[in-house]
Amino acid sequence: MKDKLKECIEWLRGKGVTYADCRYIRKENEAIRVSDSVVDSLSRNIDVGVGMRVLANGCWGFAATAILTPAELMKTANQALQVAKASAVTKHDPVVLAEQEPFVDFYQSPCVRDPFAVSTDEKIGLLVKVTDVLKKAKKIKSAEAAMNFFKTSKLFLSSEGADIEQEIVESGAGYHAVAFDGKEAQTRSYPNSQGGDFATRGWEFVEEMQLLNHAERVREEAVALLQAAPCPDEVTTIIICGPQMALQVHESCGHPIELDRVLGTEISLAGGSFLSLDKLGKLKYGSDIVNINADATIPGGLGSFGYDDEGVKAQRTPIVERGLFVGYLTGRDTAPVIKQRSNGAMRADGWNRIPIIRMTNINLEPGEWTLANLIADTERGIFLDFNKSWSIDDKRLNFQFGVECAWEIKNGKLGQMYKNAVYTGITPEFWNSCDAICNRDHWQIWGVANCGKGEPMQSMHVAHGTAPARFRNVKVGVSK
Amino acid sequence: MIGKEKLLKKLESVLAHSTADQTEIVYVGDEFGLTRFANSFIHQNVYENNCRILFRTVLGKRVGVASTNSLVDADLKQTLDNSIEIARSRAENPKFPGLPKAGKYKQLATFDKATARCTPMLRAKTVQKVIAEATKQGFTMAGAYSTSSGEIAIVSSRGVRAYQPVTAASINMVTMSDTSSGYASAVSRRTSDIDFKALAKTAVDKCKLSQNPQALEPGEYEVILEPAAVAEVVEWLNYTGFGSKSFQQGTSFLASRIGRKITSEKITIYDNALDPKAIAFPFDFEGVPKKKVMLIDKGVAKGVVYDSMAAIKGKTKSTGHALPATEAAEGALGLNIVVAPGKTPRAKMISGVKRGILVTRFHYINGLIDTRNSVLTGMTRDGTFLIENGELKYGIKNLRFTDSMMRAFKSTVAISKESQLIAAWWSSVGCVSVPTIHLGSFKFSGKTEF
Repeated sequence: MKDKLKECIEWLRGKGVTYADCRYIRKENEAIRVSDSVVDSLSRNIDVGVGMRVLANGCWGFAATAILTPAELMKTANQALQVAKASAVTKHDPVVLAEQEPFVDFYQSPCVRDPFAVSTDEKIGLLVKVTDVLKKAKKIKSAEAAMNFFKTSKLFLSSEGADIEQEIVESGAGYHAVAFDGKEAQTRSYPNSQGGDFATRGWEFVEEMQLLNHAERVREEAVALLQAAPCPDEVTTIIICGPQMALQVHESCGHPIELDRVLGTEISLAGGSFLSLDKLGKLKYGSDIVNINADATIPGGLGSFGYDDEGVKAQRTPIVERGLFVGYLTGRDTAPVIKQRSNGAMRADGWNRIPIIRMTNINLEPGEWTLANLIADTERGIFLDFNKSWSIDDKRLNFQFGVECAWEIKNGKLGQMYKNAVYTGITPEFWNSCDAICNRDHWQIWGVANCGKGEPMQSMHVAHGTAPARFRNVKVGVSK
Repeated sequence: MIGKEKLLKKLESVLAHSTADQTEIVYVGDEFGLTRFANSFIHQNVYENNCRILFRTVLGKRVGVASTNSLVDADLKQTLDNSIEIARSRAENPKFPGLPKAGKYKQLATFDKATARCTPMLRAKTVQKVIAEATKQGFTMAGAYSTSSGEIAIVSSRGVRAYQPVTAASINMVTMSDTSSGYASAVSRRTSDIDFKALAKTAVDKCKLSQNPQALEPGEYEVILEPAAVAEVVEWLNYTGFGSKSFQQGTSFLASRIGRKITSEKITIYDNALDPKAIAFPFDFEGVPKKKVMLIDKGVAKGVVYDSMAAIKGKTKSTGHALPATEAAEGALGLNIVVAPGKTPRAKMISGVKRGILVTRFHYINGLIDTRNSVLTGMTRDGTFLIENGELKYGIKNLRFTDSMMRAFKSTVAISKESQLIAAWWSSVGCVSVPTIHLGSFKFSGKTEF
């Protein structure tokens, strides 16, 4: 394959293109879902193809094919060139690429036990046991447990001489129970909502989740939510759990720091960003204890890799330092706008999609508190656990998030359970109200396997390292 | 495009190799091109030739699923073997009803040669004209214009032999000024159905009219929801309420309410994949013929859509709404949701509003807050206006709504007699068909800064 793709690049070079790259990707996926102790879905899927990106006449063109014969590959190279020429119909400044060393390298994600080598019986057995436990209450209407595994082989070649191979294994699992009493339904999940947790690791990641050990608590909390009081509407202090903090970072920091959004090129679908260029190095994004970085080098993070899909090496970039907004996520064709080199955030959702700026692992750095001390230090407030709903405006300012479960905090202790809790705010005001973050013992990196962006839609795997954190004067509920 | 006879012959030759008790092969393939523009130039422009072949094999009541995107004979046979191996490795599902039998499909014209032949250059020149409408007013234009042609084919050992060629064309556009934006969109099986210039004018006019927006306090308002806004609401109601899975789990707002009045009698919602004026499609991904399914009839909860698996549990028949086998765990889904039009001309909708808000479009709606009560939240965007005494007064800064749609739909005042097709992510096999709706009460819970 490598030789065939090199021939395509040489042919494109002969046509006078400014730049060309080819990505061959083979992705294998196994998905298992057990519902109410019965396997209702078990599939293995293989997806293989080549995408070619061409810069000609100052414009990008991209073509991709699943047919890997030499003739079809050459036809695809020509198609990419014709698409680039068509792009030039609308006049604009030519695309400029940031300088980049062409790496020749091999990267492999950490994996102790290949999940594809683990027997189907072992996987199904664990999921069935989990749903068996979840179903041991009359009011549990349904219980679902699922696992997903991916094995991706990538080859990246460029007209600048880059030659990079990557082997990345990803594993994920999670479950939830739905309680229903004939009038209302409530859901509780583990280890996170929205499908669970994911990492660029092997089967050992699933084992470490100890899925079975939490099923009884999840079941009981789902049932208890049916009788719980609705969360009161008030402006109060909130403590947000780690997984919900991951969603908070994702929506209110991760997306607005994407430089393509800032420059308006995502405006028609995902929207823009309040973090306009004039705010770089000047905006007080959060309080002094808020430090956020983008780090694609964390072993096991779902947003970790060796090189992005432009051949830029994975790296760590400061985003917010002591509350000050200091950095964007960039690619080679956007970084020159802010006179920088790419920080390696260009990724594609497969061989058939172009790389666009995506989050890597966007992390809120840990603080100094233990969770017990933080709750003890809070006279009155609400503890919010696991995401249930999410919505934010198209510049990433006004957000509203709902959670599966909440608890009253009264005189430094957790009190009664609340259901249907929702909190809302304006991003910089909210982050400036952060007055405590839990320490490294509570810090965990949470995988998000369904981050959507782009047209055609691309679903990306990203992650967020977070610990529970406290925010003051936050509006909880929507009626006041 | 492979063509009907050649494609079916290839799939049947693979089917003949199967040693399973029952076997189903689904082919979905297309050539897809999308031209994306922003800041008044084309910045992303892509072409893709891809397919997916899904195998579902049955051994007794054990089912295996495997897929590939390679049409090479050896890969197809290997994937078939993989699905049989998966079926062998899992326990029986006592509820599995077996693969569906062959059905009769409605003849539908879903393919347009001119759309299939649309080149990147033709798309680029169309985009150039769209951009020009914004440039004339000193604005910029962003959006995406896609065209595709493809084939969906299903063969099975139960006698299913289904084939349908499809084309689709879809465009969305956002006109931008320093202080405002305006939106328009269209989708069709045929590029020739789309009036690109008129769409661009709509987006530009909305942008112009909403310049220098004023802040409005959140609260309860009368609203005019234009089709793009209605479509986003309905897509979420579809996802959380109109499918068999949420209905059977009890999380759907229709669960335990069938036969009860849940909205104004002006509201009728159904799924109909057989309307040739929409993005019609004759069968689902199990090869079951599509049926029209009434979901809410004159305000009364009527039912949900089913695939063959959920139909057994619901003691009913499949309505022809199965997703591909790899997504089957999501349950059945309506891909052609229709909100029935009313009697009011769209041009007269605003004149009936004393003081209210016109919403062009919503952003980032989420319907998981309280699915039993159909509570949604989301932001307005790309053209939000204050209406006073039957006239658009000025653009307003965007607002967040949080409301139960059952509650809001109870206050329906009028529904336009005109409907619009709105694209969805599944636009090769369906879309949403919606009118403009005037609601007497809609709750806005927050505001933003632009």
